[in-house]
Amino acid sequence: MMDTAFIWDIFLRLIVALRVTLSVWALSVFFGAFIAAGVTWMRGSGVKPVEWIARAYIFVFRGAPLLVQLFVVYYGLSSFPVVRASVFWPFLRDAFNCATLSCALCTAAYQSEIFRGALAGVPHGQVEAARACGMSGFLLFRRVIFPIALRQALPAYSTEVISMVKATALVSLVTLWDVMSVALKIRNDTLVTYTPLLVAGAIYFVVNYLIARIFIFIEQWLSPHLRARSA
Amino acid sequence: MPESESDSYALTVSGLHKRFGSLEVLKGVSLLAREGDVISILGSSGSGKSTLLRCINLLETPDEGVVTVAGETILMRKTRDGRSLPADRRQVDRIRSELGMVFQNFNLWSHMTILDNLVEAPIHVQKRPRAECFEEARALLDKVGIGDKANFYPTHLSGGQQQRAAIARALAMRPKVMLFDEPTSALDPELVGEVLRVMRSLADEGRTMLIVTHEMGFARDVSDRIIFLHQGLVEDEGPPAELFGNSKSERFRQFIATERL
Amino acid sequence: MQPVTWTTALGFGERGWGPALLEGAVLTLLVSIAGLAIGAALGSLVAWSKLSGVRIAAAIGESYAAIFRGLPELLVVYFVYFGSSAALTGLDHLFGGQGFLGVPGFAAGALAVGVISGSYQAEVFRGAFLAIAKGELEAARAVGMGRWLSFRRIIAPQVLRFALPGLGNLWQVALKDSSLISVTGLSELMRTSQIAAGSTHQPFTFYVAGGALYLALTSVSDRVFEFAEARATRGMRREAR
Repeated sequence: MMDTAFIWDIFLRLIVALRVTLSVWALSVFFGAFIAAGVTWMRGSGVKPVEWIARAYIFVFRGAPLLVQLFVVYYGLSSFPVVRASVFWPFLRDAFNCATLSCALCTAAYQSEIFRGALAGVPHGQVEAARACGMSGFLLFRRVIFPIALRQALPAYSTEVISMVKATALVSLVTLWDVMSVALKIRNDTLVTYTPLLVAGAIYFVVNYLIARIFIFIEQWLSPHLRARSA
Repeated sequence: MPESESDSYALTVSGLHKRFGSLEVLKGVSLLAREGDVISILGSSGSGKSTLLRCINLLETPDEGVVTVAGETILMRKTRDGRSLPADRRQVDRIRSELGMVFQNFNLWSHMTILDNLVEAPIHVQKRPRAECFEEARALLDKVGIGDKANFYPTHLSGGQQQRAAIARALAMRPKVMLFDEPTSALDPELVGEVLRVMRSLADEGRTMLIVTHEMGFARDVSDRIIFLHQGLVEDEGPPAELFGNSKSERFRQFIATERL
Repeated sequence: MQPVTWTTALGFGERGWGPALLEGAVLTLLVSIAGLAIGAALGSLVAWSKLSGVRIAAAIGESYAAIFRGLPELLVVYFVYFGSSAALTGLDHLFGGQGFLGVPGFAAGALAVGVISGSYQAEVFRGAFLAIAKGELEAARAVGMGRWLSFRRIIAPQVLRFALPGLGNLWQVALKDSSLISVTGLSELMRTSQIAAGSTHQPFTFYVAGGALYLALTSVSDRVFEFAEARATRGMRREAR
């Protein structure tokens, strides 16, 4: 059943569901970045217990499958009466919030490692030159360390951001109506297997392609110093 | 020395000791630089010459000793486990902004144009007005001969051009003393000359310069004084004619024999 | 039935799910290994197609990699699972069978993981091959080694050496992707945790336990790969590439 009307209908229904997919994605990447900044800071703090906590966090949230993490947060936490009675319950009873929280915690672990690698990759000599001019503390970080680290992090960061788009498909397994779950529902209702999945696949593919291109554009805009000099 | 005398020195260093782990690299080095002095620091590798320079602007922290820049002494304190640390971070930043350092590997900031490299510290550290900083920067770039490269990025320049830009960047800070850490050692031979020419013109202008270098000819022709370091101590020092003519140090005579003049 | 404490529920006693979880972990390990192997086969094929210089082959390889890197892993699992069952049923119908033939979850799961892994392994193998100093290949040729011999004795071992770090990462990815195979019903670790959680109404206990087992598998894998890398790179100069 490959008639265009049918495909178009599937497409429209999936586009509506895309809003859920992109919301979970955007919020988890955004908040994950802040959590990651904190974890990276802890990892490099020099205080052993604090470092250890950061390393444990990264180990757990990068080592365990995201699906397990989602289930722990959504199914696991809600099974405790103390959680249901707490001030967090209005937040945690909602599947969207749980899923986004879980995804944010997961991406934070990966982003933290990206940040750490980028910071370590800043050429030491350029930092010394800045110090020799009298820069220190936040000024040094803001004007020299961060800009260079940012450019170094971009390729790996774009990969992680795209990974998260793909990872959001898992929220279909914790009752959210994202692109994946709507596609499966259409399959169940119409008994047509391939078409809904193919349309869903195409949508994910295009979204990822667009994100990749945006990152390439950002990289080029930020790195005139790496391009060959014209004339 | 009497208070009034130290005030007339651009830079004084006395009794500098520096250890890396169990290795003592500086074993009590002192030097005096009056305004306008051009002092070349010579020595074989491991003699501690780079460390000496880096202790002056505290890129390395001396374990013992006193550094005074333009009459202001850098305050130090000891931690509980005996390590030495600067007592006042802000003083360190301030004094660093009065010293200009030129590195062996240039260390220009790769994400900024040459012009931006020059105005960065004057604007953000010295808090001088932007227009003034940019104007002065352009003049300095012309002076070192790369005025047309202002909007280029460091990676687009040759080694010699990058080092001249780095010298201009140090000059943009209006430094009281300039420190050069083997400025030509990382350059291809044919590019060394253009950098030495710039340094010579700075010396002729009357700038106070401390230069760690292997360029014997340059050291002999341009310096007011040579300091020869050997294994962390000053073996000999004096005007070039005296040292290169008949040094009292056997080691120095051996040293210049092995280095081409 | 009285509620069971979590220690009993995880234990090895009569009402304990300990053995089941461990069996699930073993199945996870097996399906991941199978997936990685399939991925290695596909990946080397694609790498070879890109290195061969034959434009059409390279284009096909490129498209395969691009497609499977742009699709959610869960989608691929569903697609392979439904698709292979449909294909098998179709095949059976061709020979006069009736009804529905489902492909076992293990096969579908391994295939799905393999197809995804292959798209990344292609880059690892291609990079590893390019990292082999050209001189070594020329030396083999100069000594008179034929193409198969030089491949077997020079190229393959070197590619494996350089590919190890990348493969170590992709192994961890395969382990985690295998948890998605649970949607096919295969009783690997994720699915077993799910069943146990539902049966005992102790979701937190079993999902955390499942997670802990995955972490154990990850840690052990780390050690194994560290050891393998150390052995494989002995005698190699550590130079910046």
